[in-house]
Amino acid sequence: MRGHGFLIANYVPGNSLVHRTPLWPKFLVVAACGAASFLIVDWIISLLVFAVMCGLFLLSGAGLRRLIRAIWLVAPIVLVIGLFQWWQLGGPTAARIVLNVLVCVVAASVLTATTPVQDLLDGVVALAKPFRPLGADPERFALTIAVMLRSIPFIAGAFSDVRDSARARGLERNPRALVLPVFITTVAYARQTGDALAARGLGEPDDAASGN
Amino acid sequence: MNSISFSRVSVRVAVDGSDTPKTLLHDFSLDLVERRIGVIGANGSGKSTLLRLLNGLVQPGGGTVVVHGDDTVTAVRRVRSNVGFVFTDPLSQLVMPTGREDVELSLRRSIKNSKERAARAEAVLGRFGLLDLADQSIYELSGGERQLLALAAVLAVNPKVLVLDEPSTLLDLRNRELLRRTVAGLDQQVIMSTHDLDLALDMDRVLVVESGRIVFDGDAAAGVARYRALCAAALDELPMGKAPQ
Repeated sequence: MRGHGFLIANYVPGNSLVHRTPLWPKFLVVAACGAASFLIVDWIISLLVFAVMCGLFLLSGAGLRRLIRAIWLVAPIVLVIGLFQWWQLGGPTAARIVLNVLVCVVAASVLTATTPVQDLLDGVVALAKPFRPLGADPERFALTIAVMLRSIPFIAGAFSDVRDSARARGLERNPRALVLPVFITTVAYARQTGDALAARGLGEPDDAASGN
Repeated sequence: MNSISFSRVSVRVAVDGSDTPKTLLHDFSLDLVERRIGVIGANGSGKSTLLRLLNGLVQPGGGTVVVHGDDTVTAVRRVRSNVGFVFTDPLSQLVMPTGREDVELSLRRSIKNSKERAARAEAVLGRFGLLDLADQSIYELSGGERQLLALAAVLAVNPKVLVLDEPSTLLDLRNRELLRRTVAGLDQQVIMSTHDLDLALDMDRVLVVESGRIVFDGDAAAGVARYRALCAAALDELPMGKAPQ
């Protein structure tokens, strides 16, 4: 399977101010952007927040190309949303909604482009630790996030490959020829990933909980 | 203690619409003590099932499998920490976006300190000559580089036994040779299924599996000769003159 992008940027090694900022402030910024999308009612404020987030992304040294790529990947979805909202609620509301979605995407990209995945997973483990008395395994939480981050581009890639195969057979207009193979590939991938994780002893209970 | 023992092991699976389970591996017993063991046989013969018994991915329907003193049913967690498993397709095995992150993922359970973990991952990647590729997307790597990376991620936790399930199937000649040399230099006991008969000839002992039975157990050259004979006999039975239906 060929390489496939993801809607948020991969980690880009660096030593910028954003890279050196601890995980929690960056995480809070992402959470605040998500919350703000429900609170901001003026598209001009959304535009300003979007500009700030883009500025942070560029300040990190991750580059304009990665920023454009992150936005480009969600462009078809936000375009459809924007057109629908424009038709239903008018231009300013459509602009606000589209900009708020882009703010969230760029904020998440700032976090993932400047934080190594292992640090993100350590953060998830720390967040889940208070739930340990309730039977939660923090490492499993982290592993779930890791598998999710890995699976989304795989599924996108599977769709792309299946679409090419369907085109080669002249079946590109047949939805069954697209959906069914992607579904089967995804289930097979899930099984293989499960086997691979089990074989590596990942996702098994903590030492404290294990009888072995 | 440093051996793998199969004692009257069989594997069966339920079949939809049938009361009779299908037997994937018929009753067999083996002791594996050699450093390099090859498993060869046709597709669907039971090679992968045999390998999967070694770290509890498949549980025996009857009998016991004991790896370096640990039963694969009652002590599966300890068995998995001692038995590293490399799959045919490294893309299904590599969980993280880059090699460095995947090796660090392997080390998460054993090393809690992130700096120590990063240093250990660096050392493992360096040992396999993968440092230049460590931060590249796994999709940007060649098949051989991915397979080597999957091997590094498994060996990062220093297992006692390494199981490889047809590791060279997706590799070109150069990458196959790279894998062969890498495996030859490992300290671990290696058990490998393969269709690459040159690779099989490197082994200290070869098992030939046919229709769920171990039909040969002995030295590599004789094992490969037996497998070739089985293939020739199977081809002779085909109605070669007929067009495919």
